[in-house]
Amino acid sequence: MTETFDALLSGFAVALTPINLLWGLVGVTLGTAVGVLPGVGPALTVAMLLPLTVKLDPTGALIMFAGIYYGAMYGGSTTTILLNTPGESASIATALEGNKMAKRGRAGPALATAAIGSFVAGSISVVLLTLLAPIVVELALRFSPADYFALMVFAFVTVAAVLGSSTVRGLTTLFIGLLLGLVGIDETTGQMRFAFGVPELLDGIDVVVLAVGLFAVGEALYGAAYQSRVKEKLERLSGSLMMTRDDWRRSWPAWLRATAIGFPFGTIPAGGAEIPTFLSYAVEKKFSKHPEEFGHGAIEGVAGPEAANNASSTGVLVPLLTLGIPTSATAAILLAAFQNYGIQPGPLLFQTQASLVWGLIASLYIGNVLLLILNLPLIGLWVKVLAIPKPWLYGGILIFATLGAYSLHQSVVDLVTLYVFGLLGFAMRRWGFPVAPAVIGLILGPLAETQFRRALSISQGDPSVFFTHPISASLLVLTAGLIVVPWVIRMRRRRVAKLA
Amino acid sequence: MAPGAGRSRTELVLSGGVLALGGFALVTALRLPSAGGYSGIGPNAIPIAVAGGLTALGVWLLVEAMTGGWRVRVSDDAHERGEHAFHAGAFAWVTAGLLAQMALMHVAGFVLAAGVLFVCTARGFGIVRPVRDAAIGLLLGLAVFLFFVKFLSVGLPAGWLTPVLGGAGI
Repeated sequence: MTETFDALLSGFAVALTPINLLWGLVGVTLGTAVGVLPGVGPALTVAMLLPLTVKLDPTGALIMFAGIYYGAMYGGSTTTILLNTPGESASIATALEGNKMAKRGRAGPALATAAIGSFVAGSISVVLLTLLAPIVVELALRFSPADYFALMVFAFVTVAAVLGSSTVRGLTTLFIGLLLGLVGIDETTGQMRFAFGVPELLDGIDVVVLAVGLFAVGEALYGAAYQSRVKEKLERLSGSLMMTRDDWRRSWPAWLRATAIGFPFGTIPAGGAEIPTFLSYAVEKKFSKHPEEFGHGAIEGVAGPEAANNASSTGVLVPLLTLGIPTSATAAILLAAFQNYGIQPGPLLFQTQASLVWGLIASLYIGNVLLLILNLPLIGLWVKVLAIPKPWLYGGILIFATLGAYSLHQSVVDLVTLYVFGLLGFAMRRWGFPVAPAVIGLILGPLAETQFRRALSISQGDPSVFFTHPISASLLVLTAGLIVVPWVIRMRRRRVAKLA
Repeated sequence: MAPGAGRSRTELVLSGGVLALGGFALVTALRLPSAGGYSGIGPNAIPIAVAGGLTALGVWLLVEAMTGGWRVRVSDDAHERGEHAFHAGAFAWVTAGLLAQMALMHVAGFVLAAGVLFVCTARGFGIVRPVRDAAIGLLLGLAVFLFFVKFLSVGLPAGWLTPVLGGAGI
């Protein structure tokens, strides 16, 4: 325990240097801005900025990226409440009550409970992250390659098959991502795979091009084709931001309950804040003394989901930092940022890069405070950002998107690839294929292959190694269960329906 | 649950596309060498597994498409999604902007290419004020160019503006 405390203190020494504070401030400000702006998310923003890793020092850059990740969760609530267009699936639950509150002229308290709730949940979760990370590291140091492989398979299946609306479509995008991850030179043998003699493909598909193509170009094409002629109504931010005594009394239990729901959901490799936010919404509806207000602007319905959203996004950092397993698209891109510096997140990170990782964790404490200031007193500024006309917004997004892809190799080939992935992203959006599994597959796929081959090398080619290690075996059984059980339930339900 | 004829055709085409991609990848993967060291598996093992998986998913999608359509589908009715019908012009303008930028990047330079991209995108999203949009796009492009080239020393082509921007770019 004291060891953890010392490590955290030294982390603060890193995070509080003027330059790192500045990177943190840049990160959370950018993050809030992209959270507020519809059509731009943290995954896209970090992906667009990834080429900068060549120029920046790793600690500063990663503090900035973490700030973007974090800030976007705060900023997202503003858009959801005032515009009723949830920027991401994790904000849908907030939209249910938040926009209703805004329509009744209670936008101020809605924004306040979202920001303060995010702060409370975020801060508690960072404390939990601090305490939990060393324990997980301790555990993970004993993991064998077979265990890692099983863990990655578990993460693949939960992200692709369990979370989305359609198992087959989630798995399809995952496998497309895995296939793209195989393009290039095989690290173990030097064998060229799926490169077809094209020199640009030898280095593999860059995550920047895939993520920016799917998120920015795909989104711009989709927005132009299906949404550009829809009029949106921006609710005005009128009246006081102050929460009444009653608002406070109703909000704080919701924040705490939501933190308890959100954080564990983030930590298990079943990322995505969608489930915990809806769960929190349902819990608040059940516990509320004013259930009749739900659907007409109940403040608990904003306080809970927003806090759950933040808690779970902090939770996602636990498997990312301690195990090297990303469970959301943004986490996958953060992992790519580490890799750009030749750093592999995992248990060893806490030994070899202690000042970096603890500096990063300390910066989250600071980031939460900065974000509370940015999102409450300065809320008026972000409302103005929200008023940027969409045509200009998307024009700007595309300039930055193409800049990110182009600056990788100063090559127009990357721009062509970017457009092709943009078309893919458009089709995926239109026909309901989730995007995140493709990005996670691209990043995590090669790591999983390495662990798989390493495990078999150790066992001299004996595949039973995956079933004789207790951790690996139980994870694989759990994974199989995740696929089979829902299927069996559906089959039985169908049979019952037929009999009835 | 009866699928509309048009809908079902799109699903068949998309499912076929996934199947074709998987099949093509499988054929390619099967030609990779299989020699493996201690592990006993070569660089072809995972590619075959992934390509095989994608092929199987293509078959699964096709089966769903042929037996009543994909499950849990996205609505085909734009109104139901809170959107409007496919606007071909808008899609074409954004595409034109991106293609023009590719063509202009190494000729006219980053700033001018960004200006054209901005104007076309704004046009795609329904604004028809090319002069004003061009001004905004060029200013944004210039700001980005200066910041990236001067402060971050990322190489960006100056193109036709080289005389003005100096040797800042490539």
